Amino acid sequence: MNDRPELFRGNRILLGCIYWAFVLYVFVPLILMVLMGFKDSRFIGFPIRSWTLDWYVGVFANTEVLSTFGYSIAIAVLSTLISVFVGTWIAVLLESRKFTGRPVIFGLTVLPALVPGIISAIAFRIYARWLGIEPGMGAIIWSHAVHNVPFVVLVVMARLSTLPKSQMEAARDLGADPLVAFVRITLPYLVPAILGASIFCLLLSFDDFVRSFFLGGYEPTLPVLIFAMLRSGMSPEINAIATVALIMTAGIGIWAERFTRRMKKDT
Amino acid sequence: MTDPTPLVRIDGLSKHFGDTVALENLTLDIPQGQFVTFLGPSGCGKSTTLRILGGFERPTTGRVLLDGEDVTNQPPEKRQVNMVFQDYALFPHMTVAQNISFGLELKGMGRDAIRRRSSEIMAFLELEDFGARYPLQLSGGQRQRVALARALAPDPALLLLDEPLGALDAKLRGQVQQELKSIQRRTDKTFFFVTHDQEEALTMSDRIIVMNKGRMEQDGTPEELYFRPASRFVAEFLGETNLLTGRMRGTEGGQIVMDWQGTTLRGKAPRSLPGEGQPVSASVRLEKLDFHAQRPETGNAVQGRVVAKTFLGSRMALQIAVGDQAEAMLKAYVDVDTSERVGSDPVWIGWDPDHMAVLND
Repeated sequence: MNDRPELFRGNRILLGCIYWAFVLYVFVPLILMVLMGFKDSRFIGFPIRSWTLDWYVGVFANTEVLSTFGYSIAIAVLSTLISVFVGTWIAVLLESRKFTGRPVIFGLTVLPALVPGIISAIAFRIYARWLGIEPGMGAIIWSHAVHNVPFVVLVVMARLSTLPKSQMEAARDLGADPLVAFVRITLPYLVPAILGASIFCLLLSFDDFVRSFFLGGYEPTLPVLIFAMLRSGMSPEINAIATVALIMTAGIGIWAERFTRRMKKDT
Repeated sequence: MTDPTPLVRIDGLSKHFGDTVALENLTLDIPQGQFVTFLGPSGCGKSTTLRILGGFERPTTGRVLLDGEDVTNQPPEKRQVNMVFQDYALFPHMTVAQNISFGLELKGMGRDAIRRRSSEIMAFLELEDFGARYPLQLSGGQRQRVALARALAPDPALLLLDEPLGALDAKLRGQVQQELKSIQRRTDKTFFFVTHDQEEALTMSDRIIVMNKGRMEQDGTPEELYFRPASRFVAEFLGETNLLTGRMRGTEGGQIVMDWQGTTLRGKAPRSLPGEGQPVSASVRLEKLDFHAQRPETGNAVQGRVVAKTFLGSRMALQIAVGDQAEAMLKAYVDVDTSERVGSDPVWIGWDPDHMAVLND
């Protein structure tokens, strides 16, 4: 019994070391990438003799990069709206009552999240051609929306399962028909989950390469553009674009996490 | 119960969940203005009845009439019935005032009328200072009052209360019992209260319906149920009692005559009589036993010996062994003076036949 605290302390130190090794492993590449975006030389590597913001100036002056940014954001927003609408709908349907075939429907709903990206991308491509859908924005939005629905369903269902049955009954008791009760009671309760799921969908869509690559037309999304630029050789301009994208997504992610946590605590 | 159209008429109500019978052929009239309590252990059918009245369950058979109108198949939002839920079910994203206004808005009341009515009801329940607060910022007792205010605001014909005191601590519960009773009197509303707590039922109700296994055991005032229980279940469920199991001798002058521990006792007759020589039981409340040095002239009497005394503050509880070999035990509540008078010598215990209810098992 007496040596247990000692053992525990040893464990803690070991766990701490492993943790910091992990953090380094994850962040060193990111830090290097960010640093190279400020280096006053086309050659990527140490030492850095002088610093510059030229690459950033170049990126912000490059209309192609800027319009691609906008294009990616538009795709992310539209596909997110569709996934949230469809996902919430399915979640409410699945959670509201137990019916035969519910596990099957749930399984089919979640499946798109588990199919490897490359396979679903090729399948979408074939399906789109068969339906006569031209590659381009619509096709990308469609594939992103389908891929993201399972995440919305899972998050919203988890939240919905914590809504006491008496809440809906109380609303009905006070004169609300099922639709009014849903809009006035259930939806506000789901807002934190829907917001969280939306942010997740936005980031997933913004980040997606495979589907965007296979279903894209002549206009590239940001990851596709970066890929194209890489083929003509590594440039610090890419580091600058990546750094901007990194700050944006990390910022949104952190804000959303804190925001939804606070909202859940309030309700 | 001679009222031609009672506020609520429950007519042959049954509810089956698969093979389980939750409620079996319940028929009942509730006049306007009564505080009615459904009392019973869990699974007795009291909550099922409440949920059928609220419109949350459909009965398997039978009808519910509200003010003469058949509402059996009406959804909850169409009924002039409101409910105080066991967990209060306050809407967490709305303030107290918004919670209370919710039912008024859905009734289609105008903005001014809503404000007038909700401040009236908040003043009535002393909630004026809490209008802008959220339910999470309130104590248990305050939440309970908000739930009551929200249910009363739309002016329902019938108010359903589903064990609303269960979540409160013991001290607060006593206070809220008084409050609820006085609110019911002042509003002259019909309250339909469901509980498994016999003390709650006895203190608040005008009328108690004791339920057991989906059936009505007895329907009466608290006093009737307490002193004249119709069945062993009611006698044991409400308060403490002495249950004397003996043998039936016959009837005499409207009273039952029975043998118990070699003594002949008399008691009030139940609705149906057991046959002569059949086993029979009777209930005598603990506070109805008197102690005498000599055998009393009238009434029931047995000789016994006090074997234990327990001080309970306002009174003493005595354990009495009856018979030479202490074949049976009785319990009695007496005041402290009486208990000092009674020593360990044999003593006569007497009680009025009117205070002994012969029971249907």
